[in-house]
Amino acid sequence: MFAKESGLLQGTLELLVLKTLSWGPMHGYGIASWIETATDDVLRVEEGSLYPALYRMTRKGWIGGKWGTTENNRRAKYYHLTSEGRRQFVEQTSGWQRFASAVNQAVASTRAPSWAR
Amino acid sequence: MDDEIEFHVEERIREYIARGMSPAGARAAALERLGDLGAVRSECTQLLEEDRRAEARRDWFDDLRQDLRFGVRSAMHARVFSLLAIFTLALGIGANAAVFGVVKSVLLNALPYTDADRLVRVYARMEDASMERSSISAGVTVDLSERQHVFARIAPFFHGTLDVTYVGDAGPRIASAALVGPGFFQTLGVAAARGRALVDADAKTGAPNVALLSWPAWQREFGGNASAIGRSVRIDGDSYEIVGVLPRGFVGPMGAVDFWLPLDLGPALRDPIRARKQHWLGLIGRLTPGATPLAAQREVTRIGADIARDHPESQGGMALWTVPLRDDMVGDTRTPLLVLMASAGLVLVITCANLAGALLSRSLARRKEFAVRVALGAGRGRLVRQLLTESMVLALAGGAVGLGLAALCLTSLRQLTIPSLPAYADLSLDPGAVVFTSIVVLVTGLAFGLAPALSVGRGNTQGVLRDETRGTSEGRRTRRLRGVLVSGQIALCVSLLAGAGLLVRSLWAMATAPLGFDPDGVLTVSVQVPSHAYASPEARIRFFDQLEERLRGLPGVQSVATAGELPSPTMNRNGLSIEGVTWPAGEGQPFIAYASVSDDYFRAMRIPLREGRTFGPQDKAGATQAIVVSEGMARRYWPRGGAVGARIRVGPNESFPWAQVIGVVGDVRNDPARLQPDPMTYASSRQDAWGSRTLLLRTSSDPLALVKPVQRELAALDPSFAIHDAKTLRALMSDRLASRRLPVVLMIAFGGLALMLASAGVYAMFASMAAAREREFGVRVALGSSRAAIAGLVLRQGGVWMLVGLVAGAAGTVFVSRSISELLYAVRPFDPIALGSAAAILCLCAAAALLVPVRRATKADPIAVLR
Repeated sequence: MFAKESGLLQGTLELLVLKTLSWGPMHGYGIASWIETATDDVLRVEEGSLYPALYRMTRKGWIGGKWGTTENNRRAKYYHLTSEGRRQFVEQTSGWQRFASAVNQAVASTRAPSWAR
Repeated sequence: MDDEIEFHVEERIREYIARGMSPAGARAAALERLGDLGAVRSECTQLLEEDRRAEARRDWFDDLRQDLRFGVRSAMHARVFSLLAIFTLALGIGANAAVFGVVKSVLLNALPYTDADRLVRVYARMEDASMERSSISAGVTVDLSERQHVFARIAPFFHGTLDVTYVGDAGPRIASAALVGPGFFQTLGVAAARGRALVDADAKTGAPNVALLSWPAWQREFGGNASAIGRSVRIDGDSYEIVGVLPRGFVGPMGAVDFWLPLDLGPALRDPIRARKQHWLGLIGRLTPGATPLAAQREVTRIGADIARDHPESQGGMALWTVPLRDDMVGDTRTPLLVLMASAGLVLVITCANLAGALLSRSLARRKEFAVRVALGAGRGRLVRQLLTESMVLALAGGAVGLGLAALCLTSLRQLTIPSLPAYADLSLDPGAVVFTSIVVLVTGLAFGLAPALSVGRGNTQGVLRDETRGTSEGRRTRRLRGVLVSGQIALCVSLLAGAGLLVRSLWAMATAPLGFDPDGVLTVSVQVPSHAYASPEARIRFFDQLEERLRGLPGVQSVATAGELPSPTMNRNGLSIEGVTWPAGEGQPFIAYASVSDDYFRAMRIPLREGRTFGPQDKAGATQAIVVSEGMARRYWPRGGAVGARIRVGPNESFPWAQVIGVVGDVRNDPARLQPDPMTYASSRQDAWGSRTLLLRTSSDPLALVKPVQRELAALDPSFAIHDAKTLRALMSDRLASRRLPVVLMIAFGGLALMLASAGVYAMFASMAAAREREFGVRVALGSSRAAIAGLVLRQGGVWMLVGLVAGAAGTVFVSRSISELLYAVRPFDPIALGSAAAILCLCAAAALLVPVRRATKADPIAVLR
């Protein structure tokens, strides 16, 4: 999943990162792990695209990075949402929900089109 | 980034091990999950790199803005220092901008012709070097245009300009005119701005009279009105139709004139004397595509030799040669201009050295400020940049003011209409000159800011912050740097002063050497007799006799005379024949300066008679032509005496009877810029009556007071013509030296500026030296050292650098006097008076400059210092 080539899913990865960071600052590994846990291991983050996505989002000013220490005292870079990132998160979440429900509605529809009757 | 990914992989491995994988397996699996590590890394690196660059750009501009704000603020803070710095910079940069403005308009700007690089001027020269740029005869122009293959087009023209009487709306006036042969404007590649240019048919015998207006004359006489074309005007009594107006800025190879008239060579060519024996034409040619100026030179020289063989009687000893038209029009202004440009550059270098010294002191005084900034985290590079920005701010301000000064200078130079500059030079600060000045400004700012900027941030920050009292002393390095700067200033200043001194000496020699006549108390007035009303020589002679008679009656007038030509470097010359003498075949006939003068000329000019007599009433038309020669001429051709009574002929016509030398008079210097007098021949105005003459009135009072009375007398005699060029003879001679004077005046100005700057530099060096060792001197005095010993100490320390400067200056002087030797007259390049006084003036000023600081050093108060 989350192939680099797919623009749609690229955007989805960014949304998931924003969502993760809305809980609080986290490092790259933590972000990947949380996404997997939160989706019951359904979505496995392609790690090759995670870090470029993080840098890209940093450039766009959505998230910022700071070096810190983990619970077991190791240095790691923690990302956090900026105010612009928070705004993006709200906007993209509602966008995604509309998109997902629309796709869902279509997929779950039981009314056959006129040409199939 | 690598840390980040490494952390990620390690966390993953830890997770896999926790799930029960072997460490090696866990590692492989973790790496596999990450995918292509190299690709990830390079993508991230690229993203990071772009980030960094954008940020650096932002920072750089932020810093620049900050530095600029700070620079302006610190300049405002040290107001006196900044004003002085901007003032000196303005002078230095302004001098460069102004001189460059002149250099550019004279040497670099295009001539007002199409493809001017392809234009060549043809001259004749005497093999014996008596004439270098001689005109050529009508016959030669025809021979040359028939035999040559190197020019696409060739055009003759009257070599000079002439005065004509022009009757316009405002009555008769004197205007200037040029006579140009067929193809003149086509050769130059110039078309009329209005109407048409002259064409070949205009110069045909019998063609209607037409004239072309110059742009300024069109503006002046016709208000720039298009209706001028087709109008008919009276020039020298003849009616001419105006057919066109030349473009603005057009000037001919002979100069700028009001009217351009076609020249018909036909009559001259039909007269055997005028065709070959009168050399009165200039010649320009446009090279054929592919031909080089060198090829033209070779071909013209060869043809010239052929013509000399065919016509030995008129062309013997005369060779033809060519010069690119630009070089010809630039003339001998090139060397003075380049010398001036170099001098202005030297002044700017001195300015830079001076300001570098001043900034050095200033950055010493600001050491604390820098130390605080370093302590607050500013890097050394940041400090250097800050200081460079500050000096740039000063340079920019100085440059702006300097540009204004230069524009003012050029405006006033334009109004002087310097005769020595080519007529096409428009003397303005065009975009090119502004770009040049901007580059000069940037280089200047860098040059004087770099050394002081680099010297900061090297010191020990903590030491400076802690030690209050030693905040103003300077280190060895700075002291040496300052010493080098001061000795450099002294060296350059000595060289400039020496150059100025040499030029002053040679100008002095030219101006004070006796001219051979007395130019004081004489009024000169040019009079142009309308050729129609006074067609015969008798009428002209009668007119001038009457005029002289009337003027003699004016109060205060001691003597009155007329001359066809006053002494000038470009006098009319005639070929000389002496009875019984054949000129050597290789040399040909000599050409001697010649003037037709009235009886009282020698008395009015106070030229002494050496032998025989001067002209009298017996030398009238029909009598044997009488000739008076100059001493130098008599010595050259009659070295054993016997000049008086000799039979000679001056002029081309060999069928004329022999004339007789009746007297020998003193030599005169026709060219005040040359110390060697020219041989001269004089004829009586009764026997050679020119229509255009100059009146000379010697008076016991102010000559200019006679202008009005002379005008009245002239109008009473014949109201139909105007006089012009009323000037004292002294002023006229002084004008002839104007072209020599300007570079000298500028060199003196540059030398003075350099002297001021160098003195300031010497002062600053001693002042800071004395200030730095004040405590030490106090201790020395307390220990019993005498004031004189302390003064000696200071003088020794600074004197070394001054000595170094003087020695280097001596070397510079050698170079300077070499490069201006071409401009020197009657002065050796190593003239002891000029060089000695340059060094003396400098030492005097330096001594005055160091007096105050040295005195202060000796006044060090031991009690105050020790306490």
